[in-house]
Amino acid sequence: MNKQEQDLPLKAVACELLDKIVLKQLHLMEEKMRCELNIESSINNGSIHLAKSRYIMGQSSVSTARLPTESSSDFSASTVCETAEEDGVTQLKVVENEAEDTVNPLRWFGVLVPQNMHKAQSIFQNAINYVVECVNVQLQIQTNLKNMEVLRSYISSEKLSS
Amino acid sequence: MALHAAVKGKLISVIGDEDTCVGFLLGGIGEINKNRHPNFMVVDKNTPVSEIEDCFKRFVKRDDIDIILINQNVAELIRHVIDAHSAPVPAVLEIPSKDHPYDASKDSILRRAKGMFNPEDLSMFGAENYAN
Repeated sequence: MNKQEQDLPLKAVACELLDKIVLKQLHLMEEKMRCELNIESSINNGSIHLAKSRYIMGQSSVSTARLPTESSSDFSASTVCETAEEDGVTQLKVVENEAEDTVNPLRWFGVLVPQNMHKAQSIFQNAINYVVECVNVQLQIQTNLKNMEVLRSYISSEKLSS
Repeated sequence: MALHAAVKGKLISVIGDEDTCVGFLLGGIGEINKNRHPNFMVVDKNTPVSEIEDCFKRFVKRDDIDIILINQNVAELIRHVIDAHSAPVPAVLEIPSKDHPYDASKDSILRRAKGMFNPEDLSMFGAENYAN
């Protein structure tokens, strides 16, 4: 097996590698679409709970009017992502921010918020996990694109020289 | 500075309609920094495209943001800017919204990946070998 591999010309090895990358790319594209659909269903579920809370609390109580603006005091995000390098590909992961100045977003909407609001919060927190998963797939797709480019230009230069 | 940022973790920013922003901020990604710059932008039907474009470019420039979430219908408005952004970080992720389901054929990344499979390029994979 090893002997055979050594006998293969460099170009054939490059072609085989390109085949593998292309195949992986197709799987990644499928994976990305699956992730997007997960995000979509999370957003849909979350929106229903937001709409229910809006029905209970009144139209303007669940709206952008309740979100902090540039004039409100500064605070840190409670969910952030960390970068890690894996096999030459940047991968992200969700971490809880340990900074002290985080706030509970539920407080923007009142002290006693309906149960639906809590449900919506947990659904969207879960959606963030899907989002990061999707970004990781996307980063792999981008790395693969670059690798394919390099391999192709190598193969075509080999073709010209032979 | 870089070390500090690595310890702190990077932000997820969001550009989208009201429900997307309220939802994801409820999830805890929202932040208003010391300079009072929020990491989110709510787009409604009256928001001018130039404002969305400026906001997107501002988020790309900020070094504390790793992911930019953008609703696909909003992304359509500034498609040329998104297509021009090719750096892996910050990653731009197009997400569906409650009234615009996800359309894979519009996604910048998937279109770029699909571009690799067009017929002329396939000859690179040895398609001409099968012709004769």
